[in-house]
Amino acid sequence: MSMKVGIPRALLYFKYRDMWINFFRKLEIDIVISPQTNREILNNGLKYSIDESCLSSKVFMGHVEYLRDKCDLIFIPRVAKTGKKQELCVKFFGLSDIVNNTFSEVKILDYNHDVDKRQSEMKAYLDLGLKLGKSPMQILKAYTYAFKCKLEKDKKRLDKQNELLLFDDKLKVLIVSHSYNTYDEYIGGPVVNYLKELNVTPIFADIVDKKLANKEANNISEKIYWAYNRELLGGIEVYKDRVDGIILITTFPCGPDSLANEMITKRVKNKPIITIILDEQDGSAGMITRIESFIDILQIRKARKIVK
Amino acid sequence: MKIIKLLLVNIYGLAGNPAQAVKILLKDIEKTIDNQYKIVNVGTTGSARKLIGTMLNAKVVKNEITAHAIGTLSIVPDARTIIEIGGQDSKIIIIEDGIVTDYAMNTLCAAGTGSFLSSQAKRLELDIEEFSEMACSSDNPTKIAARCTVFAESDLVHKAQIGHKKEDIVAGLCRAVVHNYLNNVGKGKSIKNPVVFQGGVSKNKGVVREFERELNTKVYVDENGHIMGAIGVAILAKQQKDEIDFSFDITDIEFETKGIECDKCANNCEIICVYKDKILVDAWGNKCDRGRAKVK
Repeated sequence: MSMKVGIPRALLYFKYRDMWINFFRKLEIDIVISPQTNREILNNGLKYSIDESCLSSKVFMGHVEYLRDKCDLIFIPRVAKTGKKQELCVKFFGLSDIVNNTFSEVKILDYNHDVDKRQSEMKAYLDLGLKLGKSPMQILKAYTYAFKCKLEKDKKRLDKQNELLLFDDKLKVLIVSHSYNTYDEYIGGPVVNYLKELNVTPIFADIVDKKLANKEANNISEKIYWAYNRELLGGIEVYKDRVDGIILITTFPCGPDSLANEMITKRVKNKPIITIILDEQDGSAGMITRIESFIDILQIRKARKIVK
Repeated sequence: MKIIKLLLVNIYGLAGNPAQAVKILLKDIEKTIDNQYKIVNVGTTGSARKLIGTMLNAKVVKNEITAHAIGTLSIVPDARTIIEIGGQDSKIIIIEDGIVTDYAMNTLCAAGTGSFLSSQAKRLELDIEEFSEMACSSDNPTKIAARCTVFAESDLVHKAQIGHKKEDIVAGLCRAVVHNYLNNVGKGKSIKNPVVFQGGVSKNKGVVREFERELNTKVYVDENGHIMGAIGVAILAKQQKDEIDFSFDITDIEFETKGIECDKCANNCEIICVYKDKILVDAWGNKCDRGRAKVK
C-alpha cells in the first residue's frame, strides 16, 4: 500500500512543519507539500472560502484545493487547546469540518490535540499513527524522533536570531505576526523582503524561548488565552529593548489579533509601533509607503540617540 | 527663517497621466527660472514618486509621510501634531523635539476623508467652496454617523427628510469627519500643541472650525498646506551633496509606462516598465527574480 499524504503549506504547517515532516518520514509515509502560496493558490482560496474568513484561512483553502488531486489523504489536524491558557483560534477547531463541507470528495487525515478532551499531543500522534496502520512502538519512536528534531530546529533558529541581535550597526525591527503570515512568501514575505531591501534586520517575535515568552506575556496581559498571541506578546517583552521598532502584521479580519494588537499598541510604551493589515488586494504601494516612512522615523531616532 | 524660497506654486490636474503633467510643469519651470537658476537636484514624492523620479533622474524619492513632516517643520518648527486629511488618506503625525516619533494612517477604509466630503457635497448639490462657507454659518450641527460612507449617506437622507436645515447638515458632516478622524486615525494618540492641519480637507473652514472646537486649541492651516510634501522633498533634495545633470530636454522625450503581466510563475506579477524613447529604463513590481526585467 503506497499512500500519499498531502500537507497544505499554510496555517499550522508553519508551527509544526519540523514535527510533521519528521514524523511521517520516520514512519515511511509518502508526503507531498503544496508549494509556496502564489496568486493562483490565493485566488482559489478566495473562491472556496466564505467572505468572512480571515485571509490566512482563505490561503489555506487554496492550498487544500491545490492538493485535491495530488494525494490520497490531506492532513488537517485539529489543534484546539495545548495547555492552560493555551487555546487556539476557533478556526483551528473547525478546519477539517470546513474542508469536508467544501470539498466533499477529499479524504482527511487528522489528529485531535485538545487537553480539555484528555487528548495530549502524544495521544494525538498515537491516534494518527494507528490510522496509518503503524504499531504503537513504531509510532512512539517516530514521535520522539520528530519531537527531538523540532527542538533542535527551534534552538537553531533561536541561536541565529540571538546572534543577529548582537550587531548594533543595523536597524532592527521586531516582526509580530503569526508564523503562518510571517513565513508565507506571498503574505508576510513582501514585508520581510522589503525590510531587507532597506537594510533592516528583521527579528521575529515568534522565534523565542517558549517558556520564557509564556511567562513574560503576563507583563502585557495575564488574561489572554490564545496560545499564539500569548507567545507573540511574550516575544515583544523579551525583545523590545533590543530592537528599534515593532511591526504588527495581521491578516484581515483576524479576531484574536484585533484584540491583542490593540492591547499591544496601548500597553507597550516608548517603542514606535506600526500595524500593517493585509487583505487579498494586490498592489504593494500602500505597504511600501507605510514601511518606508516607518523606517525613516526609526533611522532619525537612532541617529539622534547616537548624537546624544 | 525660511529655508527655501518658492519660485513656482501651481497645481496640475493629472488627468490620469502624471508623466504628461510633469512635462507641463517642467515647461512652466523653464519659463519661470528663465536661465537665472541652475537645477542641481530633483526630489519627488507622492504616489507617482517612483515613475517621476525615474523620468527626472531624481536623487531623492521619498514617501509622503516623511516629506510632509519635513516640509511642515520648515514652516512651523515647533509643531507637535500634524493632521492631514487628503482625498483618500488621512494621517496623524506626532513630532517630538523636531523628529517624527509616531504616526498613524487610515487602514482599510476611506470614510471621513476628502472623497467622502465631496461625494456628500455632490449629493446636497453644493460645490465644495459653498460647502465650506455654509458649514461655518451653522450654530447647531446635525449629528451624523460617519463610521461608514454608505451609512452616513442614509443617515444624511433621513436627517434631511425630518427637516434639518441644510447648513446644519453640512456642519454636521464636518463634525462627523472630525469625530471619525479622532476616533480612528487619532485613536490613542495624545494630540499636543501646536497642531497643524493640512491636506485638501484643510481648505474646508467648517472642518477647521470643528477641529478647533473639539481639540479646544488653535489649529494652524498654512496657505501652502497642500504642497508641504513638495516642500519637504525639496529640502531633502537640497541637502544632497552631489549634483545631477538636469536638462529640460526631457519635455521632448517620450516616456511610456506599460504594465506587463509576468508569466514565469503562477503569481503573475504586474511589472511596471518605463520606456524612454522606446528603450526600457526602469522596471519594478516583480515579486521574485524570475520577473526581473533587463534594464540596459
